[in-house]
Amino acid sequence: MTEPLSAARVGIGGPVGSGKTALLECLIPAFADRGTSLAVITNDLVTREDAERLQRSGLIEPSRVVAVEAGACPHTVIREDPTLNLDAAERLEMLFRPLDLVLLESGGDNLASTFSAELVDYWIFVIDVSGGGDIPRKRGPGVLQADLLVINKADLAPHVGVDLAAMTKEARDVRHGRPVIVTNCRTGEAIDDVVDHIVRNVLFDD
Amino acid sequence: MTDINSLLTALRMGDSAFPSGGFAFSWGLETLVEDGKVKDAADVLEFARIQLRHRWATADRVMARRAAETGCDEEWSGLDRMLDAMTLASELRAGSCQAGRALLRAHAGLGNQAALRWRRLVADGRAHGHLPVVQGAVWARAGMTIEVLETLSAWTLMSGIVQAAIRLSLTGPLEAQAILGEVTDDIAGILAVRPPDEPHAFTPLADIAVMRHERGDVRLFAN
Repeated sequence: MTEPLSAARVGIGGPVGSGKTALLECLIPAFADRGTSLAVITNDLVTREDAERLQRSGLIEPSRVVAVEAGACPHTVIREDPTLNLDAAERLEMLFRPLDLVLLESGGDNLASTFSAELVDYWIFVIDVSGGGDIPRKRGPGVLQADLLVINKADLAPHVGVDLAAMTKEARDVRHGRPVIVTNCRTGEAIDDVVDHIVRNVLFDD
Repeated sequence: MTDINSLLTALRMGDSAFPSGGFAFSWGLETLVEDGKVKDAADVLEFARIQLRHRWATADRVMARRAAETGCDEEWSGLDRMLDAMTLASELRAGSCQAGRALLRAHAGLGNQAALRWRRLVADGRAHGHLPVVQGAVWARAGMTIEVLETLSAWTLMSGIVQAAIRLSLTGPLEAQAILGEVTDDIAGILAVRPPDEPHAFTPLADIAVMRHERGDVRLFAN
């Protein structure tokens, strides 16, 4: 426990309902297929629903998923004071050594949420088309600063009056060319791209 | 170290910006609100006073003080085990350890030698890391006098409860300060007398609430 943590930590943040848990449900089997030893921390805001959904999913050993309560402070627990999440990561690492990767799902939040570099090595911000095509243009810190921006629910664009191509272009423009991936977590579309980004930038074992 | 240095250290380490996870715990308040047993600022004041008088003053204070007075691993883990055995509700034990380990992590990261030794005790399974014992050991090493670290231990408990009360919509921020103003006198009164020789605690309403919290549907807080 006094050894430095060796598992890479990847944060997944974004507004309520954008598909963070759905993305996790796609990433978990993808990493299992690669033989990556994985654990998950969820910062459910009000309940243990996300943690329990993953524990019941059959995708991962239930004890590899832990919930960390945020005391109604979803920003604080990933940025100003990530000690409880770091403690949970350390305990997972003690239990499941060797652990390659810890995925940390933030509680559903707003566009201003960002992860501390003391907590994660890399973080993904998930927005979705039904939240509004103008989200990238609002230049929230989450959209701008994340290592990877995921625009989810691509299939819904025509139904909610969003020009997906324009939304994606704006996202790339405000992020000055940093990566943006358009996904549909329901069908698994473009999940391979997300996995590739994590493998190349975090696990370094491609 | 002069008193002003001890005080400045306490201000820094007691600030809510000091990263040690205190915002995630309600110590039973969340369930008492769900159950309609705590409804307003007056109830929050009463809850805070009960926690202060019947747990902190009689158990936590004794443990923090003893931990501050000794530098011995064996005594630290003995105090830690005693507090673990004294604490009935599972989420009170877990919360105290989670908060204690968070405090250890922050101080170890800043190079505090007591925190580094404590983390080894926890890693080796020789201690759980209960908060009051960790506070005494680590804050003494950081340069606080016994009086100052006792004051800070009481203050962080009261401040944490009142901040939880704000997030549970029981009080507004100014009303919360008025509650803290009231309990300041209680803290001073408690610190003016010697602590009991042996630790003990009796807060049945809060303990039962914490037990019920384990199965509660709403969980903003860890306990």
